[in-house]
This record gives sequence, C-alpha cells and structure tokens, in this order.
Amino acid sequence: MTKERENQPPRTDGRAQPDTSAIQRSDDSTPGIRRRDFMTGTAAAGPGAPVLPHIRSAKAQSSGPIKIGHIEDLSGNLAVYGVQKFHGAQLAVKEINEGKTLKGGPVASGGVGLMSNFAAAPPIMGRGDKDLKFVSDGGKLTGSGMAFVEDEDVLVDSGESGLLGRQVDLLAPDGQSSNNIWQQLTRKLIQEDEVDCLVAGFTSAEREAIRPIVDQHKQLYFYTNQYEGGVADSNTFCTGAIVEQQVIPVVDYMIRKFGPRVYTIAADYNFGQLTAAWTKAFAPLVGGEIIEEEFVPLSVSDFTTSIARIQAAKPDWVFTLLVGTNQSNYYPQASAAGLEYPMASTVNMAQGYEHRRFKAPSLNRMYNCVNYIEEIPTVRNRAFVKRWYEMFPDDPYIGQMAQNTYFSIHLYAKAVRLAGTTDQETVKRALESGLSIEAPEGAVFLEPSTHHCSHYIRLATADADHNVSFVREWPSIQPWWLQRVGVNLVRNKEYKQYIPDEDPFFTMFSKS
Amino acid sequence: MLLRPKAHFGRSKRVLDLREAAMDVLSLVLSLLYQFGTSAAFFFLAAVGLVIILGMMNIINLAHGELMMIGAYTATLTYHAGVPFWLSVILSFFVAAAFGAVLELLIVRRFYGRELGALVVTWGVSLVLGQGTLLFFGPFLPSIGIPGGSFSYGVFSFSAYWLILSLISLLLIIGLWWLYNRTSYGLQAKATMQNAEMAKSLGVRTSRIYTLTFSLGAGLAGLSGALLAPTVTIAPFMGQQFVAPAFITVVVGGAANVIAGAVASSMVLAAVKTPIGMAFGAFSGTVALLLAALIIIRIMPNGLSAPLEKYFNRRAGRAMR
Repeated sequence: MTKERENQPPRTDGRAQPDTSAIQRSDDSTPGIRRRDFMTGTAAAGPGAPVLPHIRSAKAQSSGPIKIGHIEDLSGNLAVYGVQKFHGAQLAVKEINEGKTLKGGPVASGGVGLMSNFAAAPPIMGRGDKDLKFVSDGGKLTGSGMAFVEDEDVLVDSGESGLLGRQVDLLAPDGQSSNNIWQQLTRKLIQEDEVDCLVAGFTSAEREAIRPIVDQHKQLYFYTNQYEGGVADSNTFCTGAIVEQQVIPVVDYMIRKFGPRVYTIAADYNFGQLTAAWTKAFAPLVGGEIIEEEFVPLSVSDFTTSIARIQAAKPDWVFTLLVGTNQSNYYPQASAAGLEYPMASTVNMAQGYEHRRFKAPSLNRMYNCVNYIEEIPTVRNRAFVKRWYEMFPDDPYIGQMAQNTYFSIHLYAKAVRLAGTTDQETVKRALESGLSIEAPEGAVFLEPSTHHCSHYIRLATADADHNVSFVREWPSIQPWWLQRVGVNLVRNKEYKQYIPDEDPFFTMFSKS
Repeated sequence: MLLRPKAHFGRSKRVLDLREAAMDVLSLVLSLLYQFGTSAAFFFLAAVGLVIILGMMNIINLAHGELMMIGAYTATLTYHAGVPFWLSVILSFFVAAAFGAVLELLIVRRFYGRELGALVVTWGVSLVLGQGTLLFFGPFLPSIGIPGGSFSYGVFSFSAYWLILSLISLLLIIGLWWLYNRTSYGLQAKATMQNAEMAKSLGVRTSRIYTLTFSLGAGLAGLSGALLAPTVTIAPFMGQQFVAPAFITVVVGGAANVIAGAVASSMVLAAVKTPIGMAFGAFSGTVALLLAALIIIRIMPNGLSAPLEKYFNRRAGRAMR
C-alpha cells in the first residue's frame, strides 16, 4: 500500500485545523468540534497520564449505550475470515455486558511462570581471611521447579454489567469484500452512528482504504489483523502480530533446521512483497540465502509451473506467503506433484485453517510462528475455545485474527474504565499508558509509543497427519521496527505507513 | 596397471556426467511438455461449458463459474458421502445439467437476442448462487484428495491426475465433435443457432433445442468443475477463478467453429504461458498470456477458429470437387 501514502491528511501538531473534509457531514454540530476542544485539553495535560479527571467531566456522551463499530467481510470472497472476527467481537461484547473482563491493566506484560528458578542458595559476597573480596557460590545452584503447572482461566468479574454502567452495543455492517463499501460504511459509522470505537479490517488494502477517513475524524480505530507492519498512526492501534514477530523467528528456525537455501513464493501485493522483503533482509543475518523469489498474482490458481520452478531451483525449504482461496490450491497441487520440501509461512494454518481443509499430507512440515491458533494447549485457551463454541457451535475454526478482535475489544473496555469516559482522545491516552491484557494466547502488552502489541509467539507445525504441535515458544516478542525508525506517537503525531525502503536495516546485511 | 582402474573410473564418470546432463535436459523437456498439457487441459476444462453457452448460443454467461462450483460441490458432497470419485464426477454432470435446464426454462430463455440483458441476469444468478452456497454450506467444504500418485524423472516430479485430466480433455473434444457433427441433435442445434426461424419452419423444436443446449453447457461446466475439484479449494466463490480463463479461451477461440476454436486457443495460450512462466515466473507467464490474447484478438477479431474454419471449408470444397 505504499502508493496510498499520498492520501494522508496533513500532519497536525495536536491542535487540528478546522475540518474541511471533502466528505459531507450530515450534521455540523458534530463530534469533530467536540473532539478538537479535547485535543487542546489533552495536549495541555501532557501525554501518558492515564486518568484525566478535569477532562472526564467534559462533554463525552454519557447516556445511552456505548457503540463499538465493527466492519468485516461477512459475505463475498473474504467471508471465511470476516465471520470469525465478527464472532470474536460478539463474544467479547457479550462478556463485557455480562460483567466479565480479561485480567490485565497498566502493569506491563507478563504471565505466571511455568518452569521457574528460585533462590534457594544464592551467591553471597563476603570477606575472606586476607581481606579479599570473594563470592561464595552459596552451595548448590538455585532451586528450580514447577511454579504453576498451568495458568488459570483469565476471564474475571469486572464488577459491573456493561461499561461505566452503560450497555455496550456492537454495530457490525457487512463490508462485502469490497473496498468501496468499506469506505461508505466507515463514513456512516463515524458520522451518523458516532461510534465510540471502530474495530475493522482484514486485508491491508481495506485498512489503507479507510484509514484516511479514520484520521479525518480522529476516530479511535483498532486494526486487529496480522499484517506487514509499519503503520504509525496516532488514531490507529494495531493489535495483530507483525513481521518482526513472525518472520524472524520462523526464518531463523528453518535455516538452522533445514538449511540456508530459501525459495520464496508470495502473493503479489503489498503484504506478500513487504514480507518477502523482510525475509530477504533478515536471512543473511542467520546465514541464509534467498535463492529465488516468485510473486504470484492473486488470480492464479494453477501452480504447475511454479512447482516445476521450485524443483529446478532445489531449495532447502520453501517460504510460502500465499493468500486467498485461489492461492491455497498450491498446497494440494504441490503435494500431488510429489513436492516434499519443508515449508514456512506467516499466514497459513492460523488464518484459513488449511490443515483442517486439505487432505493430509498437503501441509506436512509446514511451520508458522503464530500469536494464536486454536490448538494452543493452555488452560486459559481451553476455556476460551469452550466459551466460543458454546456461543457459536457451528463455527469451523477460531483463527488468529478472531482472537485478536476478541481481546482488542476487551482491551478497549479496560482503557475506557481507566479513563472513566468514552471520550476518544482520553481513551487513546489511556491506551498509551502501558496496558497489558491476558489474552487467550498469553499476556499481550500494548506498546504506547508505536500503538503495536507485543505477543506470545509460538512456532506451530503440522505433521503428515496434520496434527499441530509447538516446537518453540517466545513468551513476549516486541514490535521493535517502528521504534527503530524513531516513531513515538506519544510525542509526535503521525499518520503514515513506513516501508522497508526507508530503513537501511534492509540493505545493510545483504551480500550484493 | 595401477593407473588403469583409475583412468577407467575417470572415463566412466565422464560418461556418467554426460548421461546426467542428458537426463537433466530430457527431464526439463518432459516437465515442459507436462506443464503444457496441464495448462492446456486447465484452459480447456475451464472453458468447455462456456464454449457451448457463449460460443454457440451467444449468451454472455457470468454464472459460468457458479455452474462449475455446483459441479464441484456435488462431487465433493457425494464423494464424502461415500460415492466413488469417478461416479460422483458423472453425477455432478447430471446435477449441473438439470440445474441448467431449470435455469433456462425459468430465466435465460427470456433473454435470447438481448445480450446485455442476459449478461446482467446471469450475473445476478451468480451472486445468488455464491452467497446462497456460503449461507447453506459455510465458507469451505473439506477437500477431495487428488487421486493418483506422483512419479518423478530427474529433478522434476509429476502428478498422475493432471495427465488423466489431459486425456479426459481429449476424450471430451472427440465426444463434442461427434455430437455436433454426427448426430441429428447436433445438426438441429447448429441449424437453430444459425437461423432459429428457418429451423422452426423446417420442423425443429427450437425451444427444446435451446433448453437442451443450455443444459448441456451447464452439465459440461459442472463436469469440469468436478474434475478440477481435487486440485482447488472448495469454497462458495471458487468458480470465479475459472471465469477469466474461460472467457479468454472462448473469445480467442472465436465463434466460427467453437470446438476447434477452444482446442486451438487453449493450446496456443498454454504454449505461450508455459515457457515464459517457467523462465520468468508466474507473474510474467500471466502477463504473456494476456498479451497473447490481446494480440490474437487484434489480428483475428473472429478468433483462431475463423481461419481454421476457412481452411477446413476449403479442404472440404476441394474434396467435393
């Protein structure tokens, strides 16, 4: 989506200019002006202060239900992902209205320990006979044992029904897998329904289609998808995993386990291109080499030639970044043609549950670093999966982004309770106060300066019978790239998406 | 004496190297041939229903993909209910044909001669079918494993099923040729499509011919959908991936002789796409394919079959003389 950056609204310094948008407003008395008043107030109070009582008393709508706007594709080509996410939102709203919340708060990240060391006999500094300092090793090494066998369920009572004593309503129109409709619906939700919070977006194209509208109205917006990273937007909170959390661990593992020669086959649009660029930049750091990159148009569904090209190149493993219904044909076709290379991905299994849909062994030796997958065996996830299927018994699978939408709405509720108001600027400040939440995946920390989340990342793999197992776990991986390029949304407002070309990281280790 | 075995070894290694190189080249040639066959079969199967409905009846059928989807769903559902795969493929021909007949009787027959009307109405039908399938069957059905194994030669390996599909395409071509050139239905259908009034006055029941022809087209779409089902994702909107290749194949083939045209165009398109795709990747292959289609339509507005038909006619004329 690099091209769409021209559409960004001009940078503002915290006090917006009069809103002369091309969009017609139905009513000019309007959240825009109200929010502008808040902007100045907030700026004066300084960033980061979680609760701002003198603003709380101001004009945030304080009667009637709290409205969460939610757009996903409930019909059309992307419905398979959209319906899951919609159900995640419904489950979260239902739990909030029933007086439940996920554990967490402005306490930084961290779950309960599993295997743990404790200081049974710590090293001690003392003085020896000849006045020399020495360190006693204190006897045997520290004790070590099981701190908790498994962590408990994380859904707890919130102490009230709804949010701030108000009912929470979900307004969820259907995006119909069409970017134009997405824009119309975004305008309607913001201008007519005046939603307090917007949760929306599957593809990066959808997100970039609506983000200018979101910024025009300073709408608080959650994008819950796994994506290619780089969005630095004061109004947007990206709660899905990004490339540095998924690509780097899986590429490192694959190169160590299977060898350095990598063949990348990727969907030919911004997600595939940028993720492939990350792979290309990172592989040399761990001794790998991209021997060939192939970008496949989304319309292609016959992969015979691509399969032959992979065989001719003889890689050690294949990095598949294939998206959509057409492109998932690659797996059965490759399997039928006898292609047996190990595969890695950032999207498959956790989004479109290919391991459930395709006959084994099409996905044999597929590796993916996911922040969530239905098969995670922890107690809290078992409880979450059970709650989900009690509400939606006919659902085929709970995907990664469905879980993200679910915890994002709970996270919003936490921020509103902390702010004591639904006023959007105040809630944004509250979200920037170092919130963490105990999601079904594990502890998630919302990093204030970049509006992205740290995630509990697991390396999931499917075997020849398509059983999922986990071969590595990283309890908390930070979204570090935007920090590296100097983004700090708490101090400086921004409304753009950074791309790898803007960072020398992407060329500094390449061999050529 | 001591050196002899070594020299011998060296020579045999050289022979071995040569043999390996020859095997590599042969393997590449085989792979290219296999890719060509696969790709041509894919184009032909995607287009075979549309060949009848667009090529002969001149109905711009935007529900073509959904007819293929009906075939694929029938095959998948019956296969998972325990019906053998080949039987479920045949079954899906009849299900799609029956559906096509109903569609023709209820809707399509009101739009003969009104091309744009037919375009809009079949588009509407496709939306209803796609969304209806999503509502009734959900976003995916479990797939059918690809029948037949794989075999390899040199570095390349091949799927047996695609070879079977190429053979089936050949059989379909022969069958269609026989149907339209050797049966009275074929004669009546050609007469009806050329001049319905004249055919009617000669005693052909044209409305029955229309229904039968549309139904045949739908059935063939269903059949090819079922045949391609193991190689693709079974989803409500799966048919859309075939629509563009199908239309390109039929339009490049032209209407002068639809069957010969479709055969020629699937082979030409595959012959363009395969080597360029193999050398420069799938993206370039697709670009080359579209460029080729563009150039062919520009040079031969009536498609590949117009010169073919002319050639056939001239030969037939010479034979008569």
